[in-house]
Amino acid sequence: MTTAAAAVYDPQLPGGAPAVAASARQVTKSYGAGETRVTALDAVDVDIQRGRFTAIMGPSGSGKSTLMHCLAGLDTVTEGRIWIGETEITGLKDKQLTRLRRDKIGFIFQAFNLLPTLNALENITLPMDIAGRKPDQAWLDRVVETVGLSDRLRHRPTQLSGGQQQRVAVARALAARPEIIFGDEPTGNLDSRSGAEVLSFLRRSVDELGQTIVMVTHDPVAAGYADRVLFLADGVMVDEMHAPTADSVLERMRRFDGKRTS
Amino acid sequence: MLLKTSLRSFFAHKGRMALSLVAVVLSVAFVSGTLVFSNTATSTFDTLFASTASDVSVGPAEPELGGKDTRAKTRTVPVDSVRKVAAVPGVKTAIGQVTVENATLADPATLKKVGPTTGAPTLVGNWVDSPRSPVEITSGHVPQGPDQVVLDADTAKKAKLGLGGKLRVIVNDNRDFTIVGIAAFKTTNPGAALAFLDTATAQSVLLGGPAYTSVEVYGDGSRSDEQLKSDALAGLGAGFEAKTAAEQKADGQKSVGSFLDFMKYAMLGFAGISLLVGGFLIINTFSMLVAQRTREIGLLRAVGGSRGQVNRSVLVEALLLGLAGSTIGIAAGLGLAVGLIQLMNAIGMHLDASDLKIGADVFVAGYAVGVVITVLAALVPALRASRIAPIAALRDHGTPVEARSNTVRAIIGLVLTAGGGGLLVLAAGAEKAATGGRLLGLGVLLTLVGFVVLGPLLATTVVRVLGALLPTLFGPSGRLAQRNAMRNPRRTGATAAALMIGLALVIGASVFTSSVIKSTNNQIDSSVGADYIVSAGPNGVSPEIVAAVRQTQGVDHTTEQKYLEAYFTAPDGKTEKNGISAVTARFTEDFRLPVKEGSPDSLKQGALAIGEDYAKDHGLKVGDPIKVDYGNGRVQSLPVGVVMTKGNQLFDGNTFASLDTVSKAVPAADQPVDAILFAKAAAGADVARTLTGLEDALKQYPQASVRDQAGYKDLVQEQVNTLLYMIYGLLGLAIVVAVLGVVNTLALSVVERTREIGLLRAIGLSRRQLRRMIRLESVVIALFGAVLGTALGLAWGITGQQVLRTQGLETLAVPTTTILLTLGASVVIGLLAALVPAFRAGRMNVLAAIATD
Repeated sequence: MTTAAAAVYDPQLPGGAPAVAASARQVTKSYGAGETRVTALDAVDVDIQRGRFTAIMGPSGSGKSTLMHCLAGLDTVTEGRIWIGETEITGLKDKQLTRLRRDKIGFIFQAFNLLPTLNALENITLPMDIAGRKPDQAWLDRVVETVGLSDRLRHRPTQLSGGQQQRVAVARALAARPEIIFGDEPTGNLDSRSGAEVLSFLRRSVDELGQTIVMVTHDPVAAGYADRVLFLADGVMVDEMHAPTADSVLERMRRFDGKRTS
Repeated sequence: MLLKTSLRSFFAHKGRMALSLVAVVLSVAFVSGTLVFSNTATSTFDTLFASTASDVSVGPAEPELGGKDTRAKTRTVPVDSVRKVAAVPGVKTAIGQVTVENATLADPATLKKVGPTTGAPTLVGNWVDSPRSPVEITSGHVPQGPDQVVLDADTAKKAKLGLGGKLRVIVNDNRDFTIVGIAAFKTTNPGAALAFLDTATAQSVLLGGPAYTSVEVYGDGSRSDEQLKSDALAGLGAGFEAKTAAEQKADGQKSVGSFLDFMKYAMLGFAGISLLVGGFLIINTFSMLVAQRTREIGLLRAVGGSRGQVNRSVLVEALLLGLAGSTIGIAAGLGLAVGLIQLMNAIGMHLDASDLKIGADVFVAGYAVGVVITVLAALVPALRASRIAPIAALRDHGTPVEARSNTVRAIIGLVLTAGGGGLLVLAAGAEKAATGGRLLGLGVLLTLVGFVVLGPLLATTVVRVLGALLPTLFGPSGRLAQRNAMRNPRRTGATAAALMIGLALVIGASVFTSSVIKSTNNQIDSSVGADYIVSAGPNGVSPEIVAAVRQTQGVDHTTEQKYLEAYFTAPDGKTEKNGISAVTARFTEDFRLPVKEGSPDSLKQGALAIGEDYAKDHGLKVGDPIKVDYGNGRVQSLPVGVVMTKGNQLFDGNTFASLDTVSKAVPAADQPVDAILFAKAAAGADVARTLTGLEDALKQYPQASVRDQAGYKDLVQEQVNTLLYMIYGLLGLAIVVAVLGVVNTLALSVVERTREIGLLRAIGLSRRQLRRMIRLESVVIALFGAVLGTALGLAWGITGQQVLRTQGLETLAVPTTTILLTLGASVVIGLLAALVPAFRAGRMNVLAAIATD
């Protein structure tokens, strides 16, 4: 996967349906200039497959969050190009980026995902409200049911537990049927039981609803729920693993740490 | 250490402090500006009076009756009194002086009046070589001979008259003079117009014969002024009165004093408003600073800081703010005083701005007001801050829960508001206006405090109603704005309170003024049958003017009204001084007297029309006799013919009698000229054309003016306008401070909600939608304040009108336009206040915002 360095990218598969939901080519992100220049991402290439659950892992400072932010259009790149679906987002203006996030991307943050002034249902439909679209009621019902929140829709975030709040956040990300959902350590603030709940729900939304999910995490257990794990170190893509388990990821991370410390 | 923390915190919150600073600065500026202005004005006039007053001024004794009636003939002292006074030991010089106030100056070429239009007097007299003359000739020479006049420079300049120009002096006849000299004030010109003739001419033209109006005495220094005064009076015998320099000065100050007092109270009103509203702003600012620093304070407490230390650190910040605000405020106050002085100059009262009198009182009052208010306002949040439990503060995100205090607050607020409302109802129903007024004052205070206390609770309900349309009208931004405005009711309530107070005062006052205008107009419509009203200033309407009016085509008849003073003795034996209006026979046709008892026709049979209050005080009814004593042994007994209902400003306080009746006691030669003249258009005559005819006929009498009924109503309106302009001034100020308050609240909310804003932007809220959300929240807060203010103001204004319903304010007028404009203005206030916070929120970096702690 690190071998494909084509300057022109064709996201179409022979079958017609695009198999790649997002991709980055030679993406470099650096801060500062001259002596104090810090490179967070160094010519990274990546493809996110449609309908799959991808995890991005790496030690702190590896650039995993920066990569996700760039892929999601929340941050600008110094060099390189990024596509979401068929749209190239590098070079888009704030207005277009905002619309892209609104229409094509779902977000789940580590904490503070919900507006305290809106109840659970209002939070779930917020992206569609902002876009001025009517939610697809059947889909919404299905999402709400899958997340198991049917009886808590009128609750305000402060009346929900941490796990429930994250589930609402997941439901919000799903409700607008975005092309891709980005999760930034979505279980980072949860206890292991609530975390497992949210992760298995993410897993189901990929399996049953066909959703594409990219998740940044440093927790091997969380990464174990993914179809594929990408490993990032010092701003460079160093490895990937298909059909991971918590143990295999942990094993890989250990080696990784060993290599770093050696 | 603590001081260091306070200082750091003070400078770390420069922006928010700056807003509160403006509030302090405004209040202090108004207080100190008022003081500097009145100090300067007082000192200016002190200098003026001190430098121009003679040691003793001897004049004719004030008669008991008619003393204040400027239309009465000018009273004089005989020519030989100068000689008599000069003979008094210790007198160096005695100068006979002629000065009259009842002359009108005009430009004979244009027939335009020359002189002040502001109510300052026009003084015409003889030119004398007095050692303390207020003026000196700057060009030309002193008046010599029967056709020469000297005019003061300011008046000449304003009227574009110069040496060689013509000036008409109108007393009873017109006399034209040539300007041979221009005189300039040696000290400050208080705004009067001065014209000088030579002594013989002054005597004949102004007084009708050889006499003086006063003898000015200058001593040789061997005796005190008091001594000179009593010696001079002893030498002259009865019928004279004398004033020492000090007494003249006191008199002079009294006459300018009332105007300066009005200015002073108006300014203090502004200061009061800015203090009140500013106080809220300061409370708000510090509440927010404390809320923002909950964690910091918790940490301070956790590492061992005592409650007292936390209190002190907040209060020290307040002290710094108060000191800074007062210092800038005093400086701004100086500027304000200079501005006021310029304004006074523009309207004809000349004060010297280069000679500002800044007393110690300015600094004492300025710092006291600024520092005390700021520290008091910060005390509440400071106490609240120190009550925060250390660990709760560390855990918490800084929004204190206030469930219990809400119940207490609701009870207190409801009790206050209900009590205030009850007082207002009582006031509206009160029999006596004075009682009603006291109840009204107390009711206003209680309802105001009640509303301020209830504010946060009302915020939840009223904002829900106000905001109900937002989601429909403005989509998601509208909904978010509505929820945001409701999420911290205490803050919304306090922010809106600033605006509420200002608008309540403005609306209350404008209900009052429009009721005054409407009531008076109604009274004019219902009781004035005359078409035209002719007045001629302090000179009164001379017989020539009356003749000119009568001869104008289209005029059917005229009604003359003369004004005399007399002692009334009722059958109960009590005597009091009263004014009496003597009217010609057709008065009862031109005016509909508000009859409570009796018949207006009885006036023709020699009866009196008296007011309801006078009748009640003395138990009078129709037919009872009243002894009327005009002085000089002229006494008559007149029966009561009409008791007039009170509540009509045209008749209240007046007593009417027919001129024929009065003439039986006071011979025509001793009667004053007409105070006012009414004219009725002939049946079928063109009312508008007749007005033009009257104006043409009166052109050669510059002192006279004619108005039709509409013009008369305009006059009433003009008098009320002064009050209205002050109200608009207050409105402006209230708006400025309210905008600052809303800006403050929004700025803090934006900071507090950084993460929320980041989240919203991440999930697709556009910058435009975000800005709109903040603007709408701001508008909702402003509208909330405006709605509460309007409700309070209406309650106050309507009660005020009810209280005065028997005093002539019988018709209620609600100024719908003003209210709608005010509500519209509050939307604009909201939009203005949101400008900067919305701009800032829009510029926030999405990633940084989400990552904020």
